Amino acid sequence: MSRYIFLFDLDSTITKQEILPTIAHKVGIYNEMYRLTENTMRGEIPFKQSFLQRVELLKNVPVNEVNNIVRDIELNEKIVNFIRTNKDRCYIVTGNLDIWISGLMHRIGMESNVFCSKALVKGDYLEDVFSVIDKNAIARQMILPFVAVGDGNNDAEMIDAAEIGIGFGGVRDVAPSVLACSTHVVYSEEKLVDYLERLV
Amino acid sequence: MGNRLGLGTTKALVEVEGKPLIIRHLEQLENEDDIRVVVGYQAEKVIEVVKQYRKDVLFVFNHNYRETGTGASVALAARYANEYILSLDGDLLVHPEDMKMILACQEEFVGGNPVETDDPWMLQTYERDGQEYVSAFSKCMGNYEWNGLTQMKSSKMLKGNGHVFQLIEPFLPVRFMNIRTKEIDTVNDYERAIEWVRNGYK
Repeated sequence: MSRYIFLFDLDSTITKQEILPTIAHKVGIYNEMYRLTENTMRGEIPFKQSFLQRVELLKNVPVNEVNNIVRDIELNEKIVNFIRTNKDRCYIVTGNLDIWISGLMHRIGMESNVFCSKALVKGDYLEDVFSVIDKNAIARQMILPFVAVGDGNNDAEMIDAAEIGIGFGGVRDVAPSVLACSTHVVYSEEKLVDYLERLV
Repeated sequence: MGNRLGLGTTKALVEVEGKPLIIRHLEQLENEDDIRVVVGYQAEKVIEVVKQYRKDVLFVFNHNYRETGTGASVALAARYANEYILSLDGDLLVHPEDMKMILACQEEFVGGNPVETDDPWMLQTYERDGQEYVSAFSKCMGNYEWNGLTQMKSSKMLKGNGHVFQLIEPFLPVRFMNIRTKEIDTVNDYERAIEWVRNGYK
């Protein structure tokens, strides 16, 4: 048995759809959200600024409504199964907000294994974002060797720091910054899980 | 990296009779389920071509491809692999019948063919009980030309920065296998390869 810890990006790695654009679509502000998300994935806007701008767009949607949309999002089930089977060694590392993803984390049984951004809620509305995750900082905290899987520009440093850093292009294109530092890249969910199982 | 061919593309993407060499490999490996393509020079281009043809491939990066040899690439691909790995260079054409024989082989071997190119690494071999074995790789003398093809236990191929044969050397002797191939290194090689494919590999 290896000593690897497995870190997974959430958006378009575990999920088959991108979370913020999916919410935006359901509440009718898709175009603006899409533009910001694309710029961010390509690394044209720093993640923190872009994330806060995108949160601003969704601030007037009740938290519970967002949470339900996220909870029901389509998932890459084979990856989710791998995570469930190896739960004690898997962590989800996402820029998304705790108050929006708690239902989804509960659905896949990862409530205690998630690093994410955090926000305050007043009534059923988002009051303030008080921390935005820095995936690089999470990676730097790791003591044991780890495997990291992701696709976006904000995953690049975590993937670079990993012993095995995997770019996953099963949902969308892998960001150029990830291609530049990953040890592997894979475009099929089956192939990704097949390789992850060899690393357990 | 395709320099001696003067085509400006990585050799795996060089087309022979309208088909890139890497796709010719993938066609021959159709029934194999753990295919790893090591990418370095023009990685994105190679990935694009391969994934159009087949999605369930694991791409392995050798980001240091300028400073390392093919042995480093094989060592990276050998991590967490099956018991045996079959290593094929990207600039090689393999006779379809011989590829079938290779894929049926359940043991280690080193591949070669009669000396054909200008500056080959050669294989010194000896015979025992009707089977030929490779005892050394050499620049000066040998009975066959090493064509880069080998099947070895993956656990033996995990360390190295130079050539693939340097990974194999500590484990010699290894069974020899005569495999008909064309390596595409120069423009003359390229023309010979096209001719070979056109004539049905004769």
